[in-house]
Amino acid sequence: MQPILKVNLTTGETSEYVIPPEWECDYLGGASLAARLLYPVLTRNLDPVSPEVPLLFLNGPLTGTAGPAVGRFVVCGKSPATGLWAESNCGGFWGPELRFCGYDGLWINGKADRPVYLWLNDDRLEVRDAEGVWGKDTYESQEIIKSEIGVPGAHVLTIGPAGENGVLFAGLFCDHGRTAGRTGLGAVAGSKNLKAIAVKGTQKIPLAQPEAYAPLRSQANRALKADNISQVTHDLGTAGVADYADYLGSMPKKYYHQGTMENVDKVSGSTMAETILTGVSACHACVIACGRVVNLGDGVKRKGPEYETVVGFGPNILNDNLEEIVRLNEICDRYGMDTISASNTVGLAYYLFELGVIGEAEAGLSLHWGDTSAAAQLLHLMARREGIGEWMAQGSCRFAAHFGVEEEAVQVNGLEVAYHDPRGVSGMALVYATSPRGACHNKSDYFFVDWGQADPSLGLEFFDKHAGAEKAANVAHHQNWRSACDSLVMCIFGNIAPEMVAGLVNAACGYDLSVDDMLTCGERGWTLKRAINHRLGLTRLNDKLPKALLEPLADGPIAGFVPDLESMLLAYYSARGWDPETGKPTLKKLAELGLEWVAQDIWK
Amino acid sequence: MAVIFPSFEWLEGLSEKLNSDAKYAQIARNWEGDMCVVIEPSGPLTEHLLYYLDLWHGKCRKTEILKDLSSVKPKFVLTATYDNISRIMKGELDAMTAMMTRKLHVQGNMAYMMRNVPTVLDFVRCAREVTTEILS
Repeated sequence: MQPILKVNLTTGETSEYVIPPEWECDYLGGASLAARLLYPVLTRNLDPVSPEVPLLFLNGPLTGTAGPAVGRFVVCGKSPATGLWAESNCGGFWGPELRFCGYDGLWINGKADRPVYLWLNDDRLEVRDAEGVWGKDTYESQEIIKSEIGVPGAHVLTIGPAGENGVLFAGLFCDHGRTAGRTGLGAVAGSKNLKAIAVKGTQKIPLAQPEAYAPLRSQANRALKADNISQVTHDLGTAGVADYADYLGSMPKKYYHQGTMENVDKVSGSTMAETILTGVSACHACVIACGRVVNLGDGVKRKGPEYETVVGFGPNILNDNLEEIVRLNEICDRYGMDTISASNTVGLAYYLFELGVIGEAEAGLSLHWGDTSAAAQLLHLMARREGIGEWMAQGSCRFAAHFGVEEEAVQVNGLEVAYHDPRGVSGMALVYATSPRGACHNKSDYFFVDWGQADPSLGLEFFDKHAGAEKAANVAHHQNWRSACDSLVMCIFGNIAPEMVAGLVNAACGYDLSVDDMLTCGERGWTLKRAINHRLGLTRLNDKLPKALLEPLADGPIAGFVPDLESMLLAYYSARGWDPETGKPTLKKLAELGLEWVAQDIWK
Repeated sequence: MAVIFPSFEWLEGLSEKLNSDAKYAQIARNWEGDMCVVIEPSGPLTEHLLYYLDLWHGKCRKTEILKDLSSVKPKFVLTATYDNISRIMKGELDAMTAMMTRKLHVQGNMAYMMRNVPTVLDFVRCAREVTTEILS
């Protein structure tokens, strides 16, 4: 891989960091490599919004190569929301453009004494004053900075006012609403007075075997384009699965407390395609183009929501108006807030209002299910940290805890649960409980496996959607694969044969890895992140689900079912080679993965 | 009588099943559209097979074995190798798994398909239940 550019915002100093070659092969790149690089500095006493905290942007070995769904980068660090490992990957064009600059990463330290943005033009870095753009939303910021730079083709990754204001689910945004949304790293950037990073490069991406890579890439892209899931996500966006998720009962409604909703089919990718869709958008060289462009009748081109946002601002708050979801999505995007955490926290506010835990006096307004104008007001309050928004801006866990009902927040370790109910797809119970960044649906999108995407070429078996401990090893196996994909940094919708992925990596890097080797790399990264979290204070008690997901629903296709998390966890620890008492990777497992050097930290 | 897949008798048997199955009639009551199942040669099958079914409101209005797709414009074309279709018929391969793991390719209106996955899955159930023997 290419070097990483280290930037100290306090001193303005820069330096190049060359990644040790053995780490490239052991961790591949992306999130796993970031975990290896950041391991020494991520300590329990490190304040996630202090100048000392690192913010590491990394590409993968395929980023920008026009391979299948690999135009992505990842940003990693310590989450201000969870206090644990933070990672969030993002599409668009920014990652490839960074690679074209001759760097595979940006490692930010320190804190600027005033708002700044970075402008990296090939290998020339400028730290520029951002006073004029501070306070602007993510779309305005991109336009202003592009205009100031004046270089065609530059791409800007930016925070919005939410990141500036320290909202704990603030993200980093680029292009047409492409988002590194989860774990609050936008707030970390804001704490460093770092508004944005603009990049434009002209270098060629190094490939070990370009003659071998080119035909493999073409073959992979053709296969990906022809894939059924690609067809669905191209035609309908990621919300194309909404109807099926509802049919199976895995789509949450009324803040995870209701199993059915009238007119739920009005808020789906299918409905979007048949009503307001006017175009699609794609990340760098992606043949899927899952991004939506919609028109609400005012002539403005807007981003159409993806699945999580459709559910979060739709059935989650009992709203069946798709256009209102588009508007709420845009509010979040402009402020620079993650829509999963934001909508989850809004849903919690409605729920607490219904319970009588909060009233008009606390909320400053009435909250009634389906009322999207109230949701919009809450989003404004959150982003500005005004009124009840001060508490909501800290995420659902702290918000609920402030009112004495922490158990009502549907979150794990401070990260709000995504919209795949483990009572409908039981594998997600383990995924949410054990994800290295809290209740994340991407560190393993096991809901797809529970729906049927049990690829035998990856060694996966198909279990019933309500199966229990028997699927634990399968979940761990899938997490390992996704961990490898997060190293590449490859989109979860890149549904091509694993052998094809290994072939691409080998041609790009000059390796001779099998799919099993890649799974081991993935497991190494997963285990290292677990070790980081233990070092940051995580215990077995953190492997849990919120109360709402362990109570049966009264209606709908999954009425009466709850996953048996404890038995699933025991089987999971066994499958992983982790100690069932502490949840820590055993010394044997650490040695097997070449991670024995972390034992002194987590087993002391 | 043994209904061997693949055969004309099997296709006729499937049509009768779809027209008499109460569960299918209920689930597929709003389905409007024809489909063609393209079976690619593999295993004992040495040439393409194209089975056409006109499905409407929970009933099968017409079936036909086609030589090619030139005479029809079906709402959906489902394509798989004979081996994979056989595994689906035997219940060894879940239909959704086949669709999501590159073993059964679907062409057509995806919005309609995603809204009607239960109908497709019940169609597969009927196809399985009518099959008593599979050419091997």
